[in-house]
Amino acid sequence: MSTAIKIRNLNQYYGKKQALKNVNLTIKTGMFGLLGRNGAGKTTLMKVLATLIPRSEGDISVCGRKVERVQGVRKIVGYLPQDFSVYPNMTVYEAMDYLGVLSGLNKGQRKERIPKLLERVNLQDDSRKKVKALSGGMKQRLGIAQAILHDPKVLIVDEPTAGLDPEERVRFRNLLCEIAEDRIVILSTHIVGDIEATCENIAVLDEGEIIYKGTVTDLIGMAEGKVYSAEISKRELEYLKGQFTVTSMLTMGNNVMVRFLANKQPFASAKSCEPGVEDAYMYLMQTKGGGISCLDSYL
Amino acid sequence: MFGQLFIKECRQTLKSLIFWLIVLGLLLNFSTQLGKMEIMDAPVKGQEEYGYHATTDKEVIMESTLGALAEEYYRGNYAAYPIGFYKNVTLNKKENSRIEEIIEETTGLSGTEEIEKAIDSWYAEGGPKTEQMTGSLMLEPEEDLTYEQFIELMDEADGIIGGGSKYGDGYRGTNAQVPMTYEEALEEYRFLIEKDKLTGGYARLFSDYMVIFLSILPVFLAVTRSLRDRRAKIQELIYTRRASSFVVVSSRYFAMLAMLAVSVLALSAIPLMQCVKYGSSAGISVDIFAFVKYTFGWLMPAVMITLSVGMFLTELTDTAVAVLVQGAWWFVSIFAGVNSLKGGMYGWNLAPRHNTELNWKGYQDGFSQLAANRIFYAALSMVLLAFTVFIYSQKRKGRLVIRGKILADRKNKFKV
Repeated sequence: MSTAIKIRNLNQYYGKKQALKNVNLTIKTGMFGLLGRNGAGKTTLMKVLATLIPRSEGDISVCGRKVERVQGVRKIVGYLPQDFSVYPNMTVYEAMDYLGVLSGLNKGQRKERIPKLLERVNLQDDSRKKVKALSGGMKQRLGIAQAILHDPKVLIVDEPTAGLDPEERVRFRNLLCEIAEDRIVILSTHIVGDIEATCENIAVLDEGEIIYKGTVTDLIGMAEGKVYSAEISKRELEYLKGQFTVTSMLTMGNNVMVRFLANKQPFASAKSCEPGVEDAYMYLMQTKGGGISCLDSYL
Repeated sequence: MFGQLFIKECRQTLKSLIFWLIVLGLLLNFSTQLGKMEIMDAPVKGQEEYGYHATTDKEVIMESTLGALAEEYYRGNYAAYPIGFYKNVTLNKKENSRIEEIIEETTGLSGTEEIEKAIDSWYAEGGPKTEQMTGSLMLEPEEDLTYEQFIELMDEADGIIGGGSKYGDGYRGTNAQVPMTYEEALEEYRFLIEKDKLTGGYARLFSDYMVIFLSILPVFLAVTRSLRDRRAKIQELIYTRRASSFVVVSSRYFAMLAMLAVSVLALSAIPLMQCVKYGSSAGISVDIFAFVKYTFGWLMPAVMITLSVGMFLTELTDTAVAVLVQGAWWFVSIFAGVNSLKGGMYGWNLAPRHNTELNWKGYQDGFSQLAANRIFYAALSMVLLAFTVFIYSQKRKGRLVIRGKILADRKNKFKV
């Protein structure tokens, strides 16, 4: 049986609006990042894969199972939605137990797996805590634990790190990487840092279209020789922003260290530098996407 | 999977504040209506009174009904209960003159003056010639007036008044309440002891009070349970689980039903114990399962349909509109039941009434109708449950195409 997700010619419509345009992807075991700005179609694609929305056109198979056969797909897919939440008055253990029953696990399986998973996500000491008393990070870790409770072959994680503090975000990324060792984990995010830290293979969605699919290294390669840095005065910053796409800034007293995209060296003090994922993503959006918009950066 | 989920849902129900408020409501209803229930003793000859019952004597019915019509005509206004609520009806000149003609056709009294004279002489002579309960005017019908003609004319009068009057089909039979004789009271008591084994009669009385609350309160439980997923934003998590829509929806339904059934059975233990105690001291053999039979046969169909209306409409609309719908249905049912408080005429009422431990005969006469009524609502509940499962399964697949919900869905879907 296939261990990959195969998406062929997927088109998704909401009335007259086309949310996904001719999407073709093959996703294999390991972490797969789906990057794109807000409204690019990431959540739609996640929901189609999670059987929450029927696909309008195209073929999708999840580890050999047609996505239309929802019962079959639900057995092998774990899903962590964007706004993960469970009944607030349940304890962590009760929530896991309830969702475990819904996943078809018997009592013995639940008794065996739940403590292990809570330990894995470092919630073993909070199992009697009410869900409403959990912090954002703890809640997301509970979200991951419930999503892999039935040991799915595919884990779909939609925007999981939004709202987490930096420490929790790093912990969460590491957890995802561990989980991805023996299954497909699709991480949808608009936070470039999440992808950089976790994924080797990615796809970039823009206005419903895949504008890039491949490795992170190849994406970075596309921006080779296009990234410069320079120390400029704060007064010059506005002018620079008007001329180039600034990918990052670091204030140093009256001066600012900026990284920006340019096809050739724009002025003498600008030094060519090694591109990062964020630089490459911005370059991609500038060249292939529908223009640059404000992008959250948590690098 | 159903069994385990059912247990989880039972626990959820037990943790629900609404559930305990319903139990409190039932408890208050029970304590105010049946808290001081006393088991009826056998009638003793020479007792001051033995209670009243509606007579089936056509002569008495005609006399009482015609008396009431003449009195109301004389006063110039008519009491009516079109949907159970009191309404004071004043007729126009043309309508009043037709009522006058009907009185003349049925009693021979012509015009206001003759009617006034008849009323005055009735009260001057000391009121009822027979021991009629209300003591209000009774008028002898014309000799050649048949009961069929009487019915026809009274139906016409009821129509002129706008329905729900004392002359229509619903109330006509209750106009003539007459005292029971010792023999009649003894027969009723014998039925209670021998046919109903004591507990049967009290289980009916218990059901009469409980059905009023149980045909409205469970809708709150069903609505809050269905909306809880939305409030907790857990819908997507559940939708993507392996459990079938049937298992998810039916486990919730049967868990709420079971918890309410347990509550009602627990409450019924109080009158049951009273009956058992009385029975053992009086040497009466009681049916200890009577309350269980009536709980499941009489009360649970009302709970079932109320729950399924709540679940169905909430799943369909994602709003609490079911409370309004069930509330309206309940309102009409309760006031429609006012016509048949003492039982025997159960019709298709959601909350069939039998506000007495007696009238076993009425219960027997109306049993087949009652059974059809209860089976119908239980079956209808299952149909609504099946529709709820269907809607739930469509929502899980993002395929709902019913106005109201689709708008909410589309709004969400555009958040790509």
